[in-house]
Amino acid sequence: MDVLSQLLYQLVNGFVWGLIIALIALGLSLIFGLIEVVNIAHGSLYMLGAVLAWYVAEFTGSFWLALAVAPVGVGLVGLLVERVVLRPIEDRPIITIIATFGVLLIIQQGVLGVFGGAPRRIAAPFIQNFPLMGVGYPVYRVFVAIVSLLAIGTLWVFLQWTKFGLWMRAVRQNREMALALGIPTHQVYMATFGLGSAMAALGGVLAAPIVTVEFQMGLKMLVTAFMVAVIGGLGSLGGSLVAALLIGELEGLLSVVIEPTHARVVSLLLMAVVLLWKPEGIMGKSKA
Amino acid sequence: MLKLADVHAYYGKSHVLQGVSLDVGKGDLVALLGRNGVGKTTTLRTIMGLLRPRSGEIRFNGQPLIGLPAHRIPRFGIGYVPQGRQIFPELTVRENLLLALVTDRQGGAKLQERLDSVFASFPVLAQRVGQVAGTLSGGEQQMLAIARAMMTQPHLILMDEPTEGLMPRMVELVQETVVRLGQQGVSVLLVEQKVRGALEICPRVYVMQKGQIVFHGTSQELAQDRATQVRYLGVTM
Repeated sequence: MDVLSQLLYQLVNGFVWGLIIALIALGLSLIFGLIEVVNIAHGSLYMLGAVLAWYVAEFTGSFWLALAVAPVGVGLVGLLVERVVLRPIEDRPIITIIATFGVLLIIQQGVLGVFGGAPRRIAAPFIQNFPLMGVGYPVYRVFVAIVSLLAIGTLWVFLQWTKFGLWMRAVRQNREMALALGIPTHQVYMATFGLGSAMAALGGVLAAPIVTVEFQMGLKMLVTAFMVAVIGGLGSLGGSLVAALLIGELEGLLSVVIEPTHARVVSLLLMAVVLLWKPEGIMGKSKA
Repeated sequence: MLKLADVHAYYGKSHVLQGVSLDVGKGDLVALLGRNGVGKTTTLRTIMGLLRPRSGEIRFNGQPLIGLPAHRIPRFGIGYVPQGRQIFPELTVRENLLLALVTDRQGGAKLQERLDSVFASFPVLAQRVGQVAGTLSGGEQQMLAIARAMMTQPHLILMDEPTEGLMPRMVELVQETVVRLGQQGVSVLLVEQKVRGALEICPRVYVMQKGQIVFHGTSQELAQDRATQVRYLGVTM
């Protein structure tokens, strides 16, 4: 493979991976923007999505069923976590970091106990490649990009054009006034956490045939999602999307010339530079 | 209609409402006056369920409000125009108004009629309908805050210093609106620092001091009661 086609390959790859990261980071950002919870368990919800998908695919043989079941199942877990863990401590945002870390441990160790520590694979529903500048590119990854874009588009339409989306935007801007207008803010919180969890799980299912499914896969993704959310501006959805694609492309392209671990170092440097130059993130609002 | 009896409320350890009792009847325009920090805003927030009182009773048309989740209180037909307007700055004017339909029992039927009716009161909002509310002037934001409360077609509106920081022309518009609401049978409980303006439009007045009601009477009675004016309001008329 010559350098040019390798670069193009990684350019496409970076875009696909950036979209998966975007799904997860958008969920994180949505939750932070509305509930002001720094969800440390977010990576483990991504992992749980992949694990759940593995079980469904293993026992039914259907990737499609897994794609539908995992986000819904993890979304329900999210609803439960908000109601049982976060609601009682909603007035103490700092405590929620510890609480969601506890959720991370429970999910991760639970999966280790049931699923085991060995990495497993899910077969992609498409195994074909199509020619891209002389090399074969997996059709499945194009499918991943399309599903991710559809999910992100749906989220946008939901927030912008539905009644519940309007409630969510209102609660984000002024919780007390939303309450005084009669918006059931607790329901909005629960739904937001559920939705954010479902998005992480969708990312997990889509990533599962590309990476391997194992109980610690959430940790690396958690770091990536936080980097993206911070670079984009915590709580800014547009910023998260842009930053996710940026990180996806950056690490993808750099992996042509350097080790992936070193590419990660470059991303961290990028984050440091962004924080020095614009501490509120590229599309965040300064809290002046 | 609205009845508070011996309401006590705390912010942490500070005892901010020390037995507040007041009532507002149908179509009444009632002013709640007093210096800064005597508990006027807290009284309104307590009625809205945003602060849970420790004891006492709040009833609206006989229905006890204390203990209900805050989001259910507007459903009884209580509108709130909070201090500092509290519009949703990133939503459009139209979205700000649509939000008020959360509580709607008719599911937003006759929506256009209602929009037209608030636009008739505040024509400037009709011109700004697609604009993001944060870009409105202070006066326009106040109009929006009042319009938002009116959109729910409430029986009672609680207004917290709606004329604060407004130009005289806007102050007049707000006062006219309050009077018109009263004529339409909507009750208003108006918290104000501007004593004179409030007395002009509200026939009945309560004065608060340190979390308690220290005066209750008609606006004429207060206008003649120099001792109360000086002692609790720091003004004379």
